[in-house]
Amino acid sequence: MGFRKLLILLLIFSKVVFADGLVVDKVYHPYVLPNEKEFEWRLMSRQKENKTLLGQRIAYGQSLSETVMIEGYLVGEKTEVEDFGLQAYEIEVRWMLTEQGELWADWGMLFEIEKMHTSNDWEVTTGILFEKEFGRTSLTMNLFGIYEWGENLQDELEIEFRLKYRYRWLPQIQPAIEIYTGENYFGIGPAFMGIQRFDGQKQLKWEAGFITELSNSGKDHSLRIALEYEF
Amino acid sequence: MMIRRCNLLSHVWLVLILLPFTLWAKTKEFHLTIENHVFTPSELKVPANEKVKLIIYNKDKVAEEFDSFDLNREKVLFPGKKTTIFIGPLQEGIYEYFGEYNPNTARGIILVEVNHAD
Repeated sequence: MGFRKLLILLLIFSKVVFADGLVVDKVYHPYVLPNEKEFEWRLMSRQKENKTLLGQRIAYGQSLSETVMIEGYLVGEKTEVEDFGLQAYEIEVRWMLTEQGELWADWGMLFEIEKMHTSNDWEVTTGILFEKEFGRTSLTMNLFGIYEWGENLQDELEIEFRLKYRYRWLPQIQPAIEIYTGENYFGIGPAFMGIQRFDGQKQLKWEAGFITELSNSGKDHSLRIALEYEF
Repeated sequence: MMIRRCNLLSHVWLVLILLPFTLWAKTKEFHLTIENHVFTPSELKVPANEKVKLIIYNKDKVAEEFDSFDLNREKVLFPGKKTTIFIGPLQEGIYEYFGEYNPNTARGIILVEVNHAD
């Protein structure tokens, strides 16, 4: 099966599934480095005709082994009915399944569990992380299954798909195209990431993207920014 | 209908997962050593357009981190151990790398050649 056909299939079948909340977030790479510790901050802002949704996350993470990393998040959101405030707590585990470059593509998995701050509502996510190099470009894809339940949530299984195609131009500037699907949402737009190294393992990574929703009429733009300080 | 689409998606990912095992081939090995925070040889020649296996022996008593934006690789080299890094397939050219903890001394290049003599 041609790779382009495969990609088109993934996009078509991801487009018709449903998910709640902010769909535009981050495309995960399937890699873990041992001895790595990091602080992370993410901002996601979605502007529709007359509504703005805002999400922020702060996190601390560290690798537990050569292939497993754990990260804890505090999640803040401003929704259509609530002002900005602490919304949830989340624990995330990333597992690097294959050695980078050894196989045809690189694989990882992601597991998340999230609990709402003020209610007994839960969300569990399991995902497949994929990355493939094509010369100086890299294709990264994530496929997530998300299950929600709780006192205010109807039990629901959702699927999200994310894609990033990145050109490794300079360490500090790596332009990309990103695609996000879920919640009857299909968004695409430009993005970039970069990295600045300091002494030893210390480095600052940044990412930003401006994603436009295409499947519905009307204004629907999302801005995402992420900063990671690794040490 | 939703279940059928989910099934198809899982089949697509299964194909992606299994594909590498159908493309398995013996990968050529090349060796580097780091000692006193210096990589040896500092210039390593490898063939173009094929995947190669770098085996790096860290003879120092402290860890180093192999880092290369050109090669798109970042890997911890534990002290007293051999570490494997897979690179390529690469086009002909010069690819730089360095050790993050000792970037002034721990530096080298991978010279990728089309007419490489094994």
